[in-house]
Amino acid sequence: MARKPGETIWSDAGRWLMITLSLVFVLFPIVWLTVASLKTRNAALAVPPELIFTPDFDAYSRIFSGGFLGAFQNSLIIALTNVFLTLLLGVPAAYALTRMRGKVQENLSFWLLSIRMAPLFAVILPLYVLFKSLGLLDTPLAVSMAHLTLTLPLAVWMLVTYFRTIPEDLDQAALLDGANSLQILWLVIIPIARPMLASVAILVFIYSWNEFLLAFILTSRNAQTVPVAVASLAGTMSFDWPLIAAVSVVSMLPALVFVGFAQRHIVSGLGSGAVK
Amino acid sequence: MLTDWRFWFSVPAVLALGVVVLFPTGFLFWMSVSHWILTEPGVYFYGFQNFATLLNSSAFHSAAWVTVSYLVLSTTIMLGLGFAFALALSRPGSPGYLRALIVMPLVIPPVVAGFTWRFLLNGEIGFLGAYLLPAIGLETNLLASPVGALFSIVIADVWSRTPFMFLIFLAALQSIPRDYYEAIRLDGAKRFQEFWLVTLPMMKGAVSVAILFRIIDALNTFELIYVMTKGGPGRATQTFSLLGWKIAFQGFDFGGAAALGVVMVFATTIVALIVFRRFMRSA
Repeated sequence: MARKPGETIWSDAGRWLMITLSLVFVLFPIVWLTVASLKTRNAALAVPPELIFTPDFDAYSRIFSGGFLGAFQNSLIIALTNVFLTLLLGVPAAYALTRMRGKVQENLSFWLLSIRMAPLFAVILPLYVLFKSLGLLDTPLAVSMAHLTLTLPLAVWMLVTYFRTIPEDLDQAALLDGANSLQILWLVIIPIARPMLASVAILVFIYSWNEFLLAFILTSRNAQTVPVAVASLAGTMSFDWPLIAAVSVVSMLPALVFVGFAQRHIVSGLGSGAVK
Repeated sequence: MLTDWRFWFSVPAVLALGVVVLFPTGFLFWMSVSHWILTEPGVYFYGFQNFATLLNSSAFHSAAWVTVSYLVLSTTIMLGLGFAFALALSRPGSPGYLRALIVMPLVIPPVVAGFTWRFLLNGEIGFLGAYLLPAIGLETNLLASPVGALFSIVIADVWSRTPFMFLIFLAALQSIPRDYYEAIRLDGAKRFQEFWLVTLPMMKGAVSVAILFRIIDALNTFELIYVMTKGGPGRATQTFSLLGWKIAFQGFDFGGAAALGVVMVFATTIVALIVFRRFMRSA
């Protein structure tokens, strides 16, 4: 039996030790946060920590009474709008990129990749000025549009990789049947790509949901998102640790959906542009 | 002709990115040479005054130093950990849920990552900072000391971003042809030699890509630091993006902040070119 790449340096015991350690490192903070969200204010601050306690859901009810429902609503609207815009613009673009040849295609692809490399800070000030002059500051639409800087290149990259695997013969066959380009995309390509589109949508949703800096700069009160709410809570003097923990736990729900649908292309889609 | 038609499908996306990326980047250059104070009326051409002021300020020098040390420290640790995670999980047949669990921090809002680690490392009530570390004789409030705060941020960032390296390395490891290992084993190579002579050389391209994306990521890091230390104590964790935010939204000097943005664009471009030149050609 030939050894496989992963076996080259780890023995079996070493490998499992490594896996266990990495899982502890990754999961411990998440577990700890969840536990803290179920404690009363005093219990959360106890040193040494109480390991056995009665779970208390008061922090979660304070999410409602403290007015954080609006932030969740905003985040949801912003992320969903962004997913819609990203797919609406990204799917045809990715399809075009895989069916085009030559210089234009190469340049467009390179340009899309290079957008991933622009420092976010470079676009923030101009976007702030732009949305301010359009009167769109502190609206969900502004944040959704700004998030396109992150999500559109991501979606196009994931989709290009996938569309390449759909043979062009299918296009040709549909063309012979009298379909036009739009019909080919809508009736042939998109139905085939449906599982992939779902993965892209999940990932784009997560990106938009998690994003902080653009949402932070472009909103003040009305369109505040969940990450911005967490940050402003963590900036107050009287710390309500369990409440922040509870808001954080709820904000991790999309991440849990991600783990639940741990299909290969969602996971590897995270490295899009880097992992070819 | 079919091809011509389909070309137009890319136009809306290109236009949209023109509005949210291309135009802003161009506009940034104009802002950087303007006298643009948000609280004062009137915007006028200011030459390179913003750059002169910025490059001569001690805040810029300390931010450069902080950004570089944070970048080097976090990248080194992430490369090592990401590689180790990937090696442990690269064997075909490792369950997919393990991979997804390890990747989970990457899909958790970085704000939450920052808050969680601030909570854990807190010197008065944190499980690590007030309980575990003192129990092994380390009685320091990490977040309150300059070096400790930088380390705290690195730890939280490592937790949050190592999965990205893990993914890149995992994909690269799995694409190394099995024959290479068989060939070198027939030549009598030991395990360590397999790793040194096959695995590492084959990973060169992936490592350079990982470093490149890491540099971009590190320059963009904002919320983690904002939530954990707000750049403090003093300027100990004030990186370029934190400094830029302070100049723009606390000092209201949009011209000065734009100058910093331009510097960041150039820095990223230069680094990207070096990495591409040096590694991509051979990879």
